[in-house]
Amino acid sequence: MEVLSFIFSLLYQYADSIALLLLSSVGLIIIFGMMGVINMAHGELMMIGAYVTAWSYHAGVPTGFAIIMGGIGAGCVGILIERLIVRRFYGQLLASLVATWGLSLVLSQSFLLLFGPGPKGVPTPFGSFTVGQLSYSYYRLVMLASALAMILGVWALFTFTRFGVQARSTMENPEVARALGINTSAIYALTFGFGSMLAGLAGGIFALTALIEPNFGQSYTVVAFITVVVGGGADFVSGLFASALILAGVKTIIINQVNILLGQVAMMVTALIIIRLMPTGLSGYFERIRLRVGRR
Amino acid sequence: MLSYARVDRWLSRFNGPQTIGHSAPFWGAVLFVIGLGIAVPYIVGGYDLVNFTGFVLMLFLAMGLCFIWGFCGILSLGQGAFLGLGGYTYGVVGINLIEAQGNTDVALIAGLIVPVLLAAVLGYFMFYARLKGVFVAILMLVVTLLFQTFLNQTAGVQWHIGKAYLGGNNGLGRFSAGITELPSLKLGIGDLVYEFVGTSPAFYYLVFGLAAITFLGLRMMVNSRIGYIMVAIREDPDRTEAFGYDVRLIQLLVFCVGALLAAFSGILYVGWGGFIDPSAFGIYNNILPVIWVAVGGRKSLEATVVSTIFLLWLSQRLAIGGEYAFIVLGGILVIVMMLAPEGVMTSMLDYWARWRRRGAASGRRTGDI
Amino acid sequence: MSAVVPSGTSAGSIAPILEIASLSKAFGGVRAIDELDLTLGEGEIRCIIGPNGAGKSTLFQLIIGSVRADSGIIRFRDHNITRLHVFQRAHLGIAIKFQNLGVYQNLTVRHNLLVPLQHHYRSHELEDAIGKMLVQLKLEGTESLLVRDLAHGQKQWLAIGMALAMKPALLLLDEPTAGMSPDETRATGEIVQALNREGVTILVIEHDMAFVRQLRAPVTVLHYGKVFAEGPFREIEGHADVRRIYLGSSRR
Repeated sequence: MEVLSFIFSLLYQYADSIALLLLSSVGLIIIFGMMGVINMAHGELMMIGAYVTAWSYHAGVPTGFAIIMGGIGAGCVGILIERLIVRRFYGQLLASLVATWGLSLVLSQSFLLLFGPGPKGVPTPFGSFTVGQLSYSYYRLVMLASALAMILGVWALFTFTRFGVQARSTMENPEVARALGINTSAIYALTFGFGSMLAGLAGGIFALTALIEPNFGQSYTVVAFITVVVGGGADFVSGLFASALILAGVKTIIINQVNILLGQVAMMVTALIIIRLMPTGLSGYFERIRLRVGRR
Repeated sequence: MLSYARVDRWLSRFNGPQTIGHSAPFWGAVLFVIGLGIAVPYIVGGYDLVNFTGFVLMLFLAMGLCFIWGFCGILSLGQGAFLGLGGYTYGVVGINLIEAQGNTDVALIAGLIVPVLLAAVLGYFMFYARLKGVFVAILMLVVTLLFQTFLNQTAGVQWHIGKAYLGGNNGLGRFSAGITELPSLKLGIGDLVYEFVGTSPAFYYLVFGLAAITFLGLRMMVNSRIGYIMVAIREDPDRTEAFGYDVRLIQLLVFCVGALLAAFSGILYVGWGGFIDPSAFGIYNNILPVIWVAVGGRKSLEATVVSTIFLLWLSQRLAIGGEYAFIVLGGILVIVMMLAPEGVMTSMLDYWARWRRRGAASGRRTGDI
Repeated sequence: MSAVVPSGTSAGSIAPILEIASLSKAFGGVRAIDELDLTLGEGEIRCIIGPNGAGKSTLFQLIIGSVRADSGIIRFRDHNITRLHVFQRAHLGIAIKFQNLGVYQNLTVRHNLLVPLQHHYRSHELEDAIGKMLVQLKLEGTESLLVRDLAHGQKQWLAIGMALAMKPALLLLDEPTAGMSPDETRATGEIVQALNREGVTILVIEHDMAFVRQLRAPVTVLHYGKVFAEGPFREIEGHADVRRIYLGSSRR
């Protein structure tokens, strides 16, 4: 029983880590992966989602809807950001990096100034269950389920809907898309807004477990970038899953054997090694293998 | 004898297409600024002098980023890692050796070497993997945040290196049983040791003098062969490699120079305030140099120096009235990136040069001052 | 599908400077270079032609090393250079003038020349070398100008000059006459031939058939990443199959 209990504990932590990586990254997959835009204010969009969620909750809105409102709030801010700032930097990676980093500072400091150190937290729903000696929160599993649902939703949106097809063709070749009558300008804004909304939803989901304060987003930004880059651009969905599985795995094992910090360090070193060996990311590597096998 | 021709020839090492200004009035202005700098302790005193010293010691961090980013195209969002590591190393070695040696010479050297070693290792991983620019930038941010996270949880008494307690988020040298002073800069050999107390005019002159020498040294470097090869790598790394240059190695070396300069700011910071904590690795020491350099003009050492001092002064004024400083600085960065991405000073000089060239014969260099 | 015209190339009797065997490179699902074989003799001039997408530029990138081959071997003189880095191949004597200019817009003309020159000349010879190059490239007086202030034709010349400054044994020219007037094109042809007489082996990618004709050099035709035909220009020019791959046809 001890062993089973320990294994369950490990798996639970693993699932929790995966959820963290997936939720942080799903919005960035759209913005960085598809659009090729570096948005260093990604964490702040998550922060805005968390804040709006908390405000809505304390205004009486049920938790689920509060999170959706968080997503919508972040989505609107995202569209504003795209219109005013981001659109000037398409194709210029370093410039968009620097500009959005400045924006990130403005947003986090503004929230600090306007709203103080943070709103009251939102209680974690669903309660807990026990395995062996330890009790576990159901919510963490719900987080993982939400992450999977969001990714599935993104995949379905971009594969089956008209918006999704238009967005993909715009990203592939804006000139041709325009010639086909697609309003590329609107597509860029909406896609960025959609990615921001996902970030906001993730922020709202995290708000139920974490302390909400203005610097809330910063740690998520870098984690998200690392996960997306390791995943690679050849196939975002499979890349993201592979990346999350590996990185979360390394982190969980090291955290258990040593401590939390070394777990983070190990995760980062793993990411570095993967990028060193596979510059196009995991999905890029899978693609090459698939081609080589296919050739035989 | 000091003939005009000899001065001119010697001066030519410091002039070139990569730097602003080469005329007599320009160098006259530079001498004037240096003179002003020397006079500062007589014009302002006490608290204001100490305050100004704090500005000047940040110039190394700024010039370092300008050197690696503006001239070689390597953006690092984590220069604070080298600043912090330099300061902490100096502090740790200083605390341990001060009694035995009576000076901080070794601490100073260690404070410079350790960050450079880190830069060499990181640089090897990044540049030899031919990692794209944005990933280098973000990776450095990750590194500095990891340092901050690590040091923040070293408050316990078990976290010490020799006599130096890491102190967690209380700062280096601080632990539950008391405080160990971080040594001020005591440089010299044997009995000839001079102590540069952080609040003294002597310390100011040390910092200012080193800053001026560093500025001139960097200016000479960028106008030499090193300079145009760095720019060639910035402009087109593939082409430059096709000309036979090991671009990865050059980027690594340049990156190490940037780390050295950032570390220097860190050491001087400790010598100045006698204190350092994990926030030295935090967001501010990483984003502020990016703001200073981008707003002034990243491809210009001169613009960087001016912009750094000005923005440091500005943020202090804004902090007095309320915590608006970072919002304003962040906002300035965004606006500058949108409207004048080459930097405010650089763009202004370009406009001025173009205005002066109206009607003049073609062939005049831009920014001719 | 591939038709190899009886070879008029002289690679058989002269020591080869470049030997490429079974070279392959795929991007995503597309095979840009597909089991390609090519031999280039020391002192030759060879023109590479072929329709768009045939893999010409990719071939150059593989030769200089900016792209790693998936499989196959590249030999330069007696070295296997397949795994060498770009700068290592440059040191062996391979130089390239890219399709996109390849000059540094934000450096002065002088500095542009110094970048390649200072690897191959000692410091005291540098000034003379720069002076001579400026005259040869018809760029006297432009030393201190930033390259972005030059005319397009001048930039093209500078780009060729910079490739030459490396004193290469093998020179790759990727569409050297793009954007040039007929006079400039002819002048470029003369330079290429003069260089070849001095012993430089030259490999040229070109679309301008007048230029290819002027060079009177053997031609290798690429199609779908493979060598489609090889031979003297006259034979290739009149070859029905080669015409067909350029113009396209419903039957294969």
